[in-house]
Amino acid sequence: MGVYSSSHERPYRSMLIVAVLAFLVLAAKLFELQVLNGEYYRELSSRNHIRSVMRPAPRGIIRDRNGVVLADNTPAFTVSLVSVEFDTTDTELLGELLNMDYSELRERLEAAEATPYRSTQIRSGLTVEEAGRVADNMYRLGGVSVEVLPKRRYNYGTSFCHLIGYVGLADSTRVYEGELAGRTGLERILNQRLAGEYGVVREVVDAHGRVVENFHGGDAEPSPGESINLTIDSRLQFTADSLIASTGHPGAAVVLNWKTGEILALSSVPGFDTNLFVGGISSENWNTILADPGKPLLNRAWATAYPPGSTYKIVTAAWLLESGIVTENTMPDPCYGTFHFAGSDFKCWGVHGRLNIVGALTQSCDTYFYRTSMLGDIDELAEFSRGYGMGAPVTDFLPGEASGTIPTRELLNQLFGQGGWGLGNLMIASIGQGEVLATPLQIAVTAALVASGGELPPLSVLKGEPESEVFWDTSTSEETFNIVREGMRQSVSSSRGTLHRSMNYLPVEVFGKSGTAESGQNEDHAWVTGYLQEPVPVAFAVIIEHGGHGGAVAGPVAAGIIEKILEISNETE
Amino acid sequence: MRQSEKTDWFFIVALTLLLGLGLMNVYSASGSQNTLFTHQLFFVLAGVLIFWGASVFPLRLLEEAVPFVYFSSLILLVLTIFFGSGPAGRWLQIGPLNIQSSEFAKLCVIVLTARWLPALRREYVTGGVSLYLTAVGLLTVLTLLQPDLGTASAILMIVFSMIYWAGFGFNWIFLFLSPLSAAVSSVKFVSWLAFTAVLSWVLYRSGAKPRRWVFFLVMTTVLAAFTPAAWNLLRPYQQARLTTFLNPEADPYGAGWNVIQSKVAIGSGRLTGEGFLKGSQNELAFLPARHTDFVFSVWAEEWGFAGSLFLLALYAVLAWRILAGARRSMNPFNSILAAGTAAFILIHVVVNVGMTLGMMPVTGLPLPLVTYGGSHIVTEMLLLGFSYNTIRNWRSY
Repeated sequence: MGVYSSSHERPYRSMLIVAVLAFLVLAAKLFELQVLNGEYYRELSSRNHIRSVMRPAPRGIIRDRNGVVLADNTPAFTVSLVSVEFDTTDTELLGELLNMDYSELRERLEAAEATPYRSTQIRSGLTVEEAGRVADNMYRLGGVSVEVLPKRRYNYGTSFCHLIGYVGLADSTRVYEGELAGRTGLERILNQRLAGEYGVVREVVDAHGRVVENFHGGDAEPSPGESINLTIDSRLQFTADSLIASTGHPGAAVVLNWKTGEILALSSVPGFDTNLFVGGISSENWNTILADPGKPLLNRAWATAYPPGSTYKIVTAAWLLESGIVTENTMPDPCYGTFHFAGSDFKCWGVHGRLNIVGALTQSCDTYFYRTSMLGDIDELAEFSRGYGMGAPVTDFLPGEASGTIPTRELLNQLFGQGGWGLGNLMIASIGQGEVLATPLQIAVTAALVASGGELPPLSVLKGEPESEVFWDTSTSEETFNIVREGMRQSVSSSRGTLHRSMNYLPVEVFGKSGTAESGQNEDHAWVTGYLQEPVPVAFAVIIEHGGHGGAVAGPVAAGIIEKILEISNETE
Repeated sequence: MRQSEKTDWFFIVALTLLLGLGLMNVYSASGSQNTLFTHQLFFVLAGVLIFWGASVFPLRLLEEAVPFVYFSSLILLVLTIFFGSGPAGRWLQIGPLNIQSSEFAKLCVIVLTARWLPALRREYVTGGVSLYLTAVGLLTVLTLLQPDLGTASAILMIVFSMIYWAGFGFNWIFLFLSPLSAAVSSVKFVSWLAFTAVLSWVLYRSGAKPRRWVFFLVMTTVLAAFTPAAWNLLRPYQQARLTTFLNPEADPYGAGWNVIQSKVAIGSGRLTGEGFLKGSQNELAFLPARHTDFVFSVWAEEWGFAGSLFLLALYAVLAWRILAGARRSMNPFNSILAAGTAAFILIHVVVNVGMTLGMMPVTGLPLPLVTYGGSHIVTEMLLLGFSYNTIRNWRSY
């Protein structure tokens, strides 16, 4: 036996004992974890989820007919949160970093709890500094992530606030919380096409929400939404906007091509900046918009029906001719300024003497229409007007389009009761007052129908995608159209025409009709409608709310729009 | 050299099983990365060759070559500090090989200690102690600088096991450990007072001369005073490791995350495990460092409590056979070398498995023979080869 072998007995025993004790402790801990609490950890393990992160697709770009970008996407920092990974005791810290009220944040957190394993947007549109601050603190905020997501941008939000509309949080969560969808306008109508397909990335994440690695398979790249070209000419739209705004009144203008049915401008003034709505509008901005006396939320171009006033005489005149009540040469009793009938005074805006129908249109003589329409039937006028697109929407793609109203027996009975109304209602209707209501779009359509001889194709707003459903059927003879056209031509060209002063200077032949619609207590609505044959086949309608006299107030606006049309047409040639 | 004993089947079977199961486990842990498994297979095959070589290598030659081993290891460490690469700058790249020089530092310290301790025991010379302490201290400090806190602590623990094996008493070991204890005790004034009281009692019992009293008291006080400053020199991740260990709840989603995930994996293995390649924590990549530091969690998830105990038992058998051989060996160098190897295995297993169970700080210490990596397998197979050599040639003196 060597010197050392005996002396190793004690360390040998104690080392073995220490080792056995240490291993027993490990075994005890293993027993606790695996046997006593195995089910608990098993449960935890199954909750260690692979996170499906939805990658929003960039929405389709919206351009005008010339390729001007009206709506596109810009990268924006967004803070998202996976609910299960977030420790709610960190709420205060998160609120501080995001500059959010506790209650506001609480609301978003509750929304996030609806999809606990998915990423939910908490706040979007962060500045680089704000995003950086959150990123710096991510290590202590489990489940919080900062992403760069495409954000909708409206380059001319105010001008197209009604047509294009805006996106916001989707009504019902289709795929993921925080999903955006078109809320109004074309954004809403065409949401399916614009939205594109969201992508999915399956990520394995640690408790910080930091990506440990991507899961193999099942990923899908987002595919961008379809880009859309409008028939709108933004130059024309902007011109109309600024001309209306220069009157100091709210108003609307519609321009369309009566040969193709393409809508070239749909202006409603004042508008609001749709960018304010992207990702949720602040209550401050919302209140500002609500408090605006110009009522920017009101869509005046196609969703508001006004008394059309004398612009409706285009339809009445055609009806009078078609129904045989008058011919081109019929000259009823003269206009003395007031027409006494059944104990009432039916006023004309002037004293026009004896006129035929062309003269009546040119000078917009109310008396002529009182005297002639009283020989007709109110339901026949209503039926005829329906053929001109009145009393019902003229498209099926403009959201919230107003129908307007054309009085019928049924309607009048409802309003006034059997016998509570009389011939006077028909006479008043014939000059576009009383119960008659129409949108500027409908008035533009009547002008376009006259211009095209009833052959106006369905209206369209998407370039290269003509619509197929027609909402009118004039069944009017070419002879009648010619007479109405002559009346409209002389409204401008005749020195007695209501639009002579404001529009005759134009270097092209303009067919027009003014309207001065009474609107109760306030100043009258000023209307102009009309069309060009050369060089561009356009029809238009302009209304200036409470602007006063149609020819004097709406006329210059329409003339300005025509100038722009001519300018554009010269450029393209 | 005399005739060798017959084969120690316990040792051989335990070693073979550990290597085989370890390979299997790396295969499961590496998922789709086949290259990891191929590398590991190569490391293990190389390790078997090295084991065979070491088991027939004349240990006397090794004892004489200790200075050479020491200086090669020192050079490796210094090179690593200046040219280190890899995640924490701990790898030294030589051609296609990434060498983790701290693994060889462990080997070197064990060999060095085995070489010096018998001499120290025979003649207690202050000069000898100082030389030895300087040599071991240099290696430890260089390892610490890498920075590899885990390996440095493991080196110290192995050394003290060997000192104990060589027959030095607990007093001696306490005094040896006193610098470290002083540093740790400086966390609180009260704990430092308690430490100083115990130190005084040990000094009194060992009948120390006044000079030694002064040396120890001054040294430990100065250390305790400067520890806070030294703390600030630690890398943030090292600080995090230590504080996370001391107070795991302080940062549940920080460094503690790995441990939580590891515990979830181990726990979900339950009694019999989820089966080979079926551990969801592992396969879905929730386990961090799953083929390296947390390889045991993979094993425990897939094989459950039964499999975990079996693996621990294999290590226990290995250590038991080595210690038995060390006890029998007539050669002090061989005996202490084998005891150091047993301590090496036991300490690594306890620290690594303890870490995956949340009982030990998160260090980079590998699970011997099982964790992916070439350097530690080569080191372990060398040491095991020497140990098996000792077991079979216990009569050689």
